[in-house]
Amino acid sequence: MQELTLASPGGAILSLDAVLILLSALACLGSKLFDRYLTYYALQSVLLAVAAATAAYLEGDAALWVLAGLTLALKGWAIPTAARRWLVQRLELKRDSGITAGLSLTLVMATALCAFAYLAVSPERIAHGLLAASVVPISTAVVLLGALGMVVRRHMVAQLIGWLVMENGVFLGAITLAASFPLIVEVGIFFDLLAGFLIMLAMTTGLAERISPLPAGRSGQDS
Amino acid sequence: MMVWLPVLTAALPLAGSAAAALSGRTGWAAFAAVAGAAGSLVLAVVVATLTITGAPLASAGAFVYVDGLGGFFLVTVAVVVLLASLGSASYLAVEERSGQLSARRVRIYFGAFGLFAASMLAAVETANLGLLFILVEAATLASVVLVPIEGRTEGLEAGWRYVIISSLGITVALVGALFLFYSASALPGSAQSHLAWPFLLAHAHQLAPTALRLGFLLGVVGYGTKVGLAPMHTWLPDAHAEAPAPASAMLSGALLNVGMYAVIRLLAIANRGLGTQYGGRTMLIFGFLSVLVGAVFMIRRRDFKRLFAYSSVEHMGIIAVGLGFGGVLGIYGALLHSLNHSLGKTVLFLSGGSVALAYGTRRTDRLGGVTGAMPWTGALLVGAALAILGAPPFGLFISEFTIVRAGLQGDQPWLVALLLTLLAVAFLAFMRTVGGMLFGAPRGVHREPYLGAREHLLAVGPSAVGLLALLGLGLWIPSWLNLLLAHSVALVR
Repeated sequence: MQELTLASPGGAILSLDAVLILLSALACLGSKLFDRYLTYYALQSVLLAVAAATAAYLEGDAALWVLAGLTLALKGWAIPTAARRWLVQRLELKRDSGITAGLSLTLVMATALCAFAYLAVSPERIAHGLLAASVVPISTAVVLLGALGMVVRRHMVAQLIGWLVMENGVFLGAITLAASFPLIVEVGIFFDLLAGFLIMLAMTTGLAERISPLPAGRSGQDS
Repeated sequence: MMVWLPVLTAALPLAGSAAAALSGRTGWAAFAAVAGAAGSLVLAVVVATLTITGAPLASAGAFVYVDGLGGFFLVTVAVVVLLASLGSASYLAVEERSGQLSARRVRIYFGAFGLFAASMLAAVETANLGLLFILVEAATLASVVLVPIEGRTEGLEAGWRYVIISSLGITVALVGALFLFYSASALPGSAQSHLAWPFLLAHAHQLAPTALRLGFLLGVVGYGTKVGLAPMHTWLPDAHAEAPAPASAMLSGALLNVGMYAVIRLLAIANRGLGTQYGGRTMLIFGFLSVLVGAVFMIRRRDFKRLFAYSSVEHMGIIAVGLGFGGVLGIYGALLHSLNHSLGKTVLFLSGGSVALAYGTRRTDRLGGVTGAMPWTGALLVGAALAILGAPPFGLFISEFTIVRAGLQGDQPWLVALLLTLLAVAFLAFMRTVGGMLFGAPRGVHREPYLGAREHLLAVGPSAVGLLALLGLGLWIPSWLNLLLAHSVALVR
């Protein structure tokens, strides 16, 4: 997306959309209910689909249209629905008690990571005035926030959602930085399959642990 | 030209998967897995030979691309797959007979085993960075099925940690691939070719340096997660300990190498585009950290499979250090070490698996005098332990020695002293634990797991072959292998 500048109308829509995606990642981090995690994730995915569709319209790229449709259908609907039905409902998950850092501390760390993302991928590194210069730092921040979620939360399902948020960040970066990236649709599908696999594995593990829970503190302990 | 040959090499292990899916008899699945693996080893040798006598075997877009480096890793992986599938045949027969695994689970095992092997073989046969990324992750997913197959909750837990940390790593690797692609965006050529490794290597000087540096670093972190480089190694000991022994051999002996292969491909581009210092320093940092973590965590480890797993972290670190020292010697040593480590670790896990089956435990404080109760397996374990610790006359001695010499040629000889100190710590920690289990007063209840001469031979044979090969590599490096290594070194320097 070499020619697309921040000043163009399409560029404005895309950067506004990116900011909303960042906000939904923060909302996900600031929540304690499994149900909310999924709501914010679904919202974020819909926003990502809008971003992909905008990029597809501006670029006239068929692959990006496919990616937008897939994002809306799979990440916006299928994955959150499956996770809600098979994980939150079947495992009867309500409140996430496995948060190792308090919410306020988490949000402080999140803010620090956003600042770090901006400094590390400072707009000067990408040619001046291009849209990527404003979106790539935001997408890096989303990736880092997803990773933060995986670190501060010990529960499997929370880690899974952290990873999904991270992945949304990657694709936000991909459509603005490297829209012509070959295999982008294939990689997208592959990640969705991976998400499905993770949901199944989380369900199996969760059900097995309810039958025979591990003694407290056993997990991760070296013997 | 002859692209079907590498494709067939990667596809043959699927015979085991197909037999497991179609036939109800688990014996057939095991037989098909072994036959497929043997066929693909023969083809891998043919493919590797073709790459040293002529141009790389390549298709358009470098989707299939086997050069010397790919050929070398192809042979390494194929050897481990064959030994591990032979080991699986006996190990799973025992577990099925004892009722620990149902016939259905054995079939799931062989189904996933074939997919695992095929995706690893395919991963080292492509130079398209997007496809490489997909195949490495596909191999991981297939292997995740193997980890919890024995049905313990710890296994499920280990499987979960393995897959979630791997997914995190692979996402980082994808970001790396994006930056690498971006670094080439100003160059002529199609978008497809900007992801092809030969193109990137040939135009390494023209890549945008900032994006290349980011791409390389993220790629090393991402694939380094698969390799088990510290500090991204935290999933490895759990997964390698909880998997059934032959699957552990595949994880340690083959999958780690496939991750390392991806790192080496990126390193080659970085070496040429950014100068050898940047890539070398990065590899040295991750390498020394891994050797340190591996050695320290080997101290007083009481589960022998966890001990072997930490030893894998240590050895991946040694390989990274060799790559970091660089030069002909460093890279040659690192590559040779990856082959030697694969053989040694396969023998350790397979023989260790027999011990776990016979005693029903992996805890070394409940084991003693194994050499007395199981002379063959015990002797193999003693040999493999000495080999993996780098004692002469085994192959690992030669490769570690080469890496040390490469370090002495550089301007930081104190790094060599540090490496040797850490290796000594690892030696003592490993021997203390394994020695107590192999020798000393008999402890634990031994029950012979294998029935009949055929099963015995299947259980001991692969390890014996592996150990003999390791001995051979310590005494003499065949000119064929030497040529293959020389080709690979020239690509990476």
